[in-house]
Amino acid sequence: MNNKKLEAKDFITIGIFTALLFVTEMVVGMLGYLHPYVVAAYVVLLPLATSIPMMLFYTKIEKFGMLTIMAALLAIIMFVTGMGYLGAPLILIAGVVADLIAKSGDYKDFKKIAISYGIFSLWICANYFPVVVSATSYRQSLLEGGFSAEYADYLFKAINTKTIAILVIVCVISGFLGAFVGKAVVRKHFEKAGIA
Amino acid sequence: MKNVIEIKNVSFHYKGAGYESLRDVSLSIEEGETVLLCGSSGSGKTSVIRLINGLIPHYYQGELAGKVSVAGRDISKTELYELAGSVGTVFQNPRSQFFSVDTDGEIVFEPENIGLEPTEILKRKDSVVEEMGIERLLGKSLFSLSGGEKQQIACASVSALLPEIILLDEPSSNLDRDAIEKLRSIILQWKNQGKTIIISEHRLWYLREVFDRAIYMDGGKIRKQWRREDFLQLRAKEIEDLKLRPLDVPAYFSVLFNEKNTKDRGALKASEGAICLKDFYFSYNHRPYIFRKKKFTEADGENLELNIPKLKLPRGKVIGVVGKNGTGKSTFLRCVCGLEKDCGGIIEIDGQVYKGNYRIGLSYMVMQDVNHQLFTDSVEAEVLLSMKDKNEKRCREILEELGLFTYKDTHPMALSGGQKQRVAIASAIAAGAQLFLFDEPTSGLDFDHMMKVGRLLKKLAVSGKTVLVSTHDPELIEQCCDYELYIEHGRVLSFGEIEDRTAKRGEKITICVNT
Amino acid sequence: MITLIPIVLLIIEKHYASALRFLVMYTVAIMLTFYYLSANSTGFIAAFLVGYCGIVVQFMPSVITAWYVIRTTKIDEFISCMQRMHIPDGITIALAVVMRFFPTIKEEYGSIRDAMKMRGIMLGGGNAVKMVEYRMIPLLFSCVNIGDELSAAAITRGLGGKVKRTSVAQLKFGVADSVLIAAFTATAAIFIGSKYFKL
Repeated sequence: MNNKKLEAKDFITIGIFTALLFVTEMVVGMLGYLHPYVVAAYVVLLPLATSIPMMLFYTKIEKFGMLTIMAALLAIIMFVTGMGYLGAPLILIAGVVADLIAKSGDYKDFKKIAISYGIFSLWICANYFPVVVSATSYRQSLLEGGFSAEYADYLFKAINTKTIAILVIVCVISGFLGAFVGKAVVRKHFEKAGIA
Repeated sequence: MKNVIEIKNVSFHYKGAGYESLRDVSLSIEEGETVLLCGSSGSGKTSVIRLINGLIPHYYQGELAGKVSVAGRDISKTELYELAGSVGTVFQNPRSQFFSVDTDGEIVFEPENIGLEPTEILKRKDSVVEEMGIERLLGKSLFSLSGGEKQQIACASVSALLPEIILLDEPSSNLDRDAIEKLRSIILQWKNQGKTIIISEHRLWYLREVFDRAIYMDGGKIRKQWRREDFLQLRAKEIEDLKLRPLDVPAYFSVLFNEKNTKDRGALKASEGAICLKDFYFSYNHRPYIFRKKKFTEADGENLELNIPKLKLPRGKVIGVVGKNGTGKSTFLRCVCGLEKDCGGIIEIDGQVYKGNYRIGLSYMVMQDVNHQLFTDSVEAEVLLSMKDKNEKRCREILEELGLFTYKDTHPMALSGGQKQRVAIASAIAAGAQLFLFDEPTSGLDFDHMMKVGRLLKKLAVSGKTVLVSTHDPELIEQCCDYELYIEHGRVLSFGEIEDRTAKRGEKITICVNT
Repeated sequence: MITLIPIVLLIIEKHYASALRFLVMYTVAIMLTFYYLSANSTGFIAAFLVGYCGIVVQFMPSVITAWYVIRTTKIDEFISCMQRMHIPDGITIALAVVMRFFPTIKEEYGSIRDAMKMRGIMLGGGNAVKMVEYRMIPLLFSCVNIGDELSAAAITRGLGGKVKRTSVAQLKFGVADSVLIAAFTATAAIFIGSKYFKL
């Protein structure tokens, strides 16, 4: 059973956790309408919120491809739900790299998992791509969409070509730290309850 | 007759488990035979089913010794998808076994997986749908179906494969009586088609006429086997000693689940300090109000799915809530514990009136899936969560009372189903609940566990709580209910004390079993 | 205009009340956006209104459409469609599970919320971490359980075999599809053109 190829049941597990991840993202995403700084804060909020399912996910499959496929699914879902295709390559690359890192630790070395999760969290940054790459047109579409100039100003103050680098780094770090939070929760609940 | 299933000296030890789940089990089953596997939970019934459909050793890992061959194949050397064409399985939980979202897709899912020709699949689908009479379920979303309907679809999708062997793993666990009747007729149909059928089940009554051979398992071993004629000869006492659920339940139905049998004594003596429910009106079909939905009143009359102007519940009694499926039992329970905001009922206890959100905390419902009600990482924390003053001494008392103290540091999810129920009850006692509601607490339980639940309900009642229990298990009502509340179309048809039980037991035997 | 689509979808699916409610909410939000909120509206209330309008105007239509797509797409058709596009089986299976799981998550979350209401811990005692924990933990436990059962069932039913899966779904690229695609492409082209090139 310990062959390293993904089987039907692994794909099902991947599907389930992707659904959970996406639902979490939607819920947190709603908060973004409150203030543009919240949008920027996704890089902290989301890696923390999704760390719990993700740390559980890492214990479930332990085979190469789990993160790559999840990233592919996320990219597809993001595209379908209208968050653009610009970020897709980034999501995919993050997925593959995260997968490779976790694999080098045989999906058991927690330090590597934490780094891998940090990288994987970059899928969140993919959401910012339209803001940065096509800034002017995005701004206009925001205004047309009923956002105030103030909102747009704040948004661009928070997210632009200069800050994106910082955001990316913050994202990876939050992911890395989030891994510890998630792991703690997994220990507290799932390992104690005997699943995971 | 040739044997289609041959299990030889099989032992199995689940990975991570502390004991062997199967110990030296040998069993051969003839073609066209219908075999009933009975025994308490954890006796190894489900593991036998898993041996035959190959989930052991291909999905559930562990140490397997012995040999299993099914339809001429050695299971350990057969991939599961190769087996899919000849063995079909209906699982316990209708909610988690379907893969599609729509009914049509679900029926053709398996034939498609094994790569049959589309025209052939459609032909099979049509014939299965016609055989089972499920035309009205087609084209629907599976999420909108009831548990019974989902189970029918699961059976249909197994049928569409035309397997030689059909396995059913506690298929009636989540079903009500009508759905069980339907399930029985489906099984009979399969039997008439000459399929080999193996059913693992706690509820035995609906299978009386169905099986050919009964196998009794205990502690991972096959202890006894009977032919059907011999099994039916067993006296009620012997069945009880085997810790099996009774065989002659349908008779209870005609007695217990019949509104005529409880005399309506709605006028309970006021002095009993009854809990009084007033103005419980509710309907799921709102008229299209744009922002605020109005509260329902008696004036909505016919449209109401729950219409209970006044009901007095005696204190310290167990009240069985019965009635046909989909007639408002769950709605009633949900409204009483304040989960339906639009139901503006009032609860009166000792002259104190509780309205709206104040009803929450007063009544507590133990849900059918108790897993949703446990939030913390230890039993003790779970109980303390419900206490405003975090009184550890009181917490200890409650836990000791319910026999949970030894588990106080265990994670609630690591407990057994019955223990989880008790944890939920403990947390409600801690919150000071007066009214305990149970939604099908015994579905899927074996005899022993059902009796335990019954005793627990009685104990709650003795301690002065009022217990409402909705159930499809007449055995439970017989064991522990003092009153019976018969609900139909959201209205109380009758409510009264259950009369002398022994008299009924006598009556029971004379009633025809074929319902 | 595009907003009419979700409304029509709701009506097709016989959710008249929701359609009406959504229509009213949408109109209010649009009116607010155009008459009250200008590009320089500031202050807390305005920010809140922007938030509200933003959710209603931008989020709701796509949520409703997504809901409709999930509700009406048949997993079976979906799988065979993906197969035709030569997408690997693994991804197809996983995506199908994602779609099947949204309603499941909704159901499970619904009962967890009920349970939280009964316990009076909806707000987690004012502790944001607890609020997340009490929702997330039971949800994960049930999803993992359901997932295990689902996997076991799906495997005994022959999913993931080496046999090529067939499908009864007749997916034909009809005239209607071509017309729709043409129409959408045209709309998108006009939209992009007007935005980027200031036609």
